[in-house]
Amino acid sequence: MAIVNLQNVTYKYPLTDSPVLHNINLTVNEGEFIAVIGPNGAGKSTLCYTIAGFVPHFFKGELTGTVEVAGNESSKSSLHEWVLNVGLAFQNPFNQISGAKYTVFEEIAFGLENIGVPREEMKPRVEAAMKLTGISDLADRSPYSLSGGQQQRVALTSILVMQPKVLVLDEPTSQMDPIGTREVFGVIRTMAEQGMTVVLVEHKVEWIAKFADRVVALHEGKVLMEGKPSDVLTSDLLTDKGFGISRYTSTAREASKQGLWPNEKPLPVTLDEAVQGFKR
Amino acid sequence: MHERLSYYVKRDSALHRLNPLTKFILVLSIILISFVSPWYWTAHVLLLLAIVPLCFVGRVSREFFASAIRLIIPAAGFIFVMQSFFQPVGQTIIFKFWFLDVTEESLAFAFRIATRIAVMISAFTLLLMTTHPSELMSDLTRRGLPGQFAYVIISTLQILPQMQAKAQTIINAQRSRGLDTESSFIKRAGSLIPLVGPLVFGSLVEVEERAIAIEARGFTSTHVKTSLHDVPDSNVDKFLRWFLVGLVIITLALRIWLS
Repeated sequence: MAIVNLQNVTYKYPLTDSPVLHNINLTVNEGEFIAVIGPNGAGKSTLCYTIAGFVPHFFKGELTGTVEVAGNESSKSSLHEWVLNVGLAFQNPFNQISGAKYTVFEEIAFGLENIGVPREEMKPRVEAAMKLTGISDLADRSPYSLSGGQQQRVALTSILVMQPKVLVLDEPTSQMDPIGTREVFGVIRTMAEQGMTVVLVEHKVEWIAKFADRVVALHEGKVLMEGKPSDVLTSDLLTDKGFGISRYTSTAREASKQGLWPNEKPLPVTLDEAVQGFKR
Repeated sequence: MHERLSYYVKRDSALHRLNPLTKFILVLSIILISFVSPWYWTAHVLLLLAIVPLCFVGRVSREFFASAIRLIIPAAGFIFVMQSFFQPVGQTIIFKFWFLDVTEESLAFAFRIATRIAVMISAFTLLLMTTHPSELMSDLTRRGLPGQFAYVIISTLQILPQMQAKAQTIINAQRSRGLDTESSFIKRAGSLIPLVGPLVFGSLVEVEERAIAIEARGFTSTHVKTSLHDVPDSNVDKFLRWFLVGLVIITLALRIWLS
């Protein structure tokens, strides 16, 4: 069943001439994990803001078409009701720290305080969310004294703890090392398995290939391709339009020109697939 | 990075355990009484017999005297010097400096003002040292202070050190590209100009992102806010508050009656 439904969505920021999103149609089913890829300026972040209700409520501008989440239409709801259904975490972790709290534990509880969760319920929820993202040991630190990757996890935890139906993540691992990235992708997949719907913008295509159910390729504000990760991420079209693709895909593509890649096999995205193909 | 972002000293004391609002009212009434009292000696007495003992009760005497040397005495001293030179009162000239007369009366006046300033700063220092800012704010929010107002105060307290750190980063980045920050005073003042643009515009962009971030966490929600920490409020607190309010009213009445 579709939980997110965008119909003919076109959006223009205030004081700009051309729309950032052109006639986007996108449905996401309940519990689905979709990844959005695209070169810089493709409208990925704007798409996140649209699903999360900040377009048009926060940024104003002109929105046509309909945005529906869990049966509500965004233009007919207010933002503070909307955020209960859709959680948003974005790139820059430093600016996602509320600035009103002195410890990580309080920082994560901030959202629960705002929506009036009773105190007895608050502590176990914060503890469970911190355990899930692996930051329990940071509980008493100041959120400002953390590294970029740690702050990013705090930002993610702060949203997870509110238990939204849909989780919108705009490059949540941009400041992380490979180990941190793997752990966070693990967390996101756990959330998806528990029935949370996930919309993820990410450049790390190998991880998308491993975890996402579906990939949407965005280009100049339009949906260029949509489908299974293994189909979309290995498409020739992506390379032509300047998308970042996996090094294993490009290696195998070169290899297949030289006859080193088995033609019956699809091109690989991850290391494992590449190993399988080159082994024959 | 520096973990300590406030004056708060974490200790367990009777003063720490008082309700934040009680401490806030205590500080306000000490200041009000020292300013409105009809007697010149009230401020001195309050400083010696209220604030100094309180810093021992709060077990922050070491930190308090350190900040007295660094902040309170220089500030009060500065006010004293300025007031004694520029207060055009009195006839008994003690000495002249250029066109400025220092008189017996202006010295007395300056001493009174300086003590009041000292009372004001030291009372607030004591409050900041023994009260966690977020405790004060969550208590005030619970009593009906708008959440936005509390947020502005507390985030300013936290963000100032961050802005300082960012200014330092920008200066370092500009120095590494040849900006002169170490020669004459004029040149150094001039080198502050290229700092302003990135710092101010960068902060404006940040404000937008931070607004999105707190909005995403239900900041403007119409639900009644709850609070993670329980802030104790005993009968002693309630009594103390009314007692202090009473003292302030009596002082005001005395002032009006005696003048």
